[in-house]
Amino acid sequence: MSEELYEQIAVCVERGKVNATSPYPPDLKGQDGADELVRQALDQGLPADDVLGKGLVVGMTRIGQKFSENKVFVPDLLMAAKAMTAGMDQLEPYFESGEAHHKGVFIIGTVQGDLHDIGKNLVRMVVEGNGWKVVDLGVDISAEKFLEAVKENAGAVVGLSALLTTTMVNMEKTVSLVKEGVPGAKVIVGGAPLTQEFADKIGADGYSPDPQGAIGFLEAPVA
Amino acid sequence: MTSIERIHNILRRRPVDRIGLYEHFWGDTQKKWTDEGHLEEGEALDDHFGFDLCGSWPFNMVGKLDFEPETIEETDETILQRDGNGAVLRRHKLHDATPEHVDFLVKDGAGWYEHIRPFLTFDRRRINFEAYRDAKKHAAERQRFFHWGGVNVFELMHPVCGHEYMLTGMLTDPDWVKDMVDAYATLTVELMETLFAEEGLPDGAWFYEDMGFKERPFMSLDMYREFILPGHRKTIQYCKGRGLPVIMHSCGYVEPLVPGMLEAGIDCLQVIEVKAGMDLLQLYKDYGDRLSFMGGMDVRKLYTNDQAQIEEELASKIPVVMQNHGYALHSDHSIPDQVEYDSYKFFVERGLELGTY
Repeated sequence: MSEELYEQIAVCVERGKVNATSPYPPDLKGQDGADELVRQALDQGLPADDVLGKGLVVGMTRIGQKFSENKVFVPDLLMAAKAMTAGMDQLEPYFESGEAHHKGVFIIGTVQGDLHDIGKNLVRMVVEGNGWKVVDLGVDISAEKFLEAVKENAGAVVGLSALLTTTMVNMEKTVSLVKEGVPGAKVIVGGAPLTQEFADKIGADGYSPDPQGAIGFLEAPVA
Repeated sequence: MTSIERIHNILRRRPVDRIGLYEHFWGDTQKKWTDEGHLEEGEALDDHFGFDLCGSWPFNMVGKLDFEPETIEETDETILQRDGNGAVLRRHKLHDATPEHVDFLVKDGAGWYEHIRPFLTFDRRRINFEAYRDAKKHAAERQRFFHWGGVNVFELMHPVCGHEYMLTGMLTDPDWVKDMVDAYATLTVELMETLFAEEGLPDGAWFYEDMGFKERPFMSLDMYREFILPGHRKTIQYCKGRGLPVIMHSCGYVEPLVPGMLEAGIDCLQVIEVKAGMDLLQLYKDYGDRLSFMGGMDVRKLYTNDQAQIEEELASKIPVVMQNHGYALHSDHSIPDQVEYDSYKFFVERGLELGTY
């Protein structure tokens, strides 16, 4: 019974069914969405971590994988993220009480001088949807602010985004400052002008051209 | 052969003397090269490098024409303003960058119908007749191909509601998005009709859309056909009906959308952004018999400022894509100030040398 409910939650996230009043997707019109089903699961006493891991995260993983494979596109991912957020809002008190747990903390931002956020926001949505607590610093973030955030969130992984070739230099500065300030801190980078070669050159620990790649990096087994 | 003849032929893939030449630059780049003494103060880049095209961007498509931008916050580096589309945008003051989308009055159909739709009407104040006239005269004096330039429906919608509301709107309220597309396409044609009737036709039309990002378009081909194609068809077919060839710009990875853009009637795809995953040689192979190209030269090679790398980039592509007479030399986006003047000059000179028939 619980497995069936978890699967229904996963389907709602994967298909972007936010709540009962949402008109999308048309074939699920009038049916409960992620919002109601997560509430039902919690009211039934199902463990919050299972609602998250076996329901919401499963759905987000599926859509993230499909996005990586170009089987779905940004609108689908955005709707899935909305459904995920609706479910996560129900879980918020459980995170606060400690009954639900994030996998870790991911700090993300667009580097200094750069105001673009679409790519960053997509990564934020997918990472949150995979059960991570995301600290979104926003755009035009100095290296010092990234370092401050890493110090405030022990063990956090850092994600840097840039769209402009001219702001990529700030990425290198940020990577250096973070790694000097918090030895052992891990940094992943992404953005339109970036390549694996550039990421290696600036000392980043990872590079991903898409949001699902960020998940792969975050959840890779520690060597 | 004049530039007008050359570009007309390139857009129709008819024999020419050499490949075409055009480029976009960051403001910081022109300033740097001027400060370094390579350019005269205020010198036009199209004159300096002998570009084959020049254009005019004469339309103001903001929702509320009479709205004075309202400054919400200003620092030494950025300024946060609400504009006539009801959008709150943060712009960088010190260097070129597209703005950050902070908030929008229009988040759904209701917001669109209340805040923007009633104001999106024909108004002569939306047309800069003088700028078009002057630019047309400038082009004619130099026998340069003169294009009308402006954004099309995708780029007109997101300043009003942002990418996220627009793209989710395609799924949750498709009629709203279709109405936005139709409203902007209709207004564009109405403004063109007046402008061209009073000031004369250009040699061609150049629409700017940014429908892709890294390795993906924002939407599927099916979604493009359902939502965007009607607007593209309306605007492009108007131009084609007036005898104007059409260039379509799109940043990002838009290869999957090319069949749709061909259905809309484009003659040339521009900018072919390599770092986003666009492959000029593959596009030429797949569509070169019915589509001309401008761009696709990896600007990252240019900002190595290594002539050997620039040579390799040019030599690996130009001999192939010039074969059908449908290519104009351009970077795969624009020239940032990391590119030294001498590097760009070499790019142009060597590129045209390779591209001469």
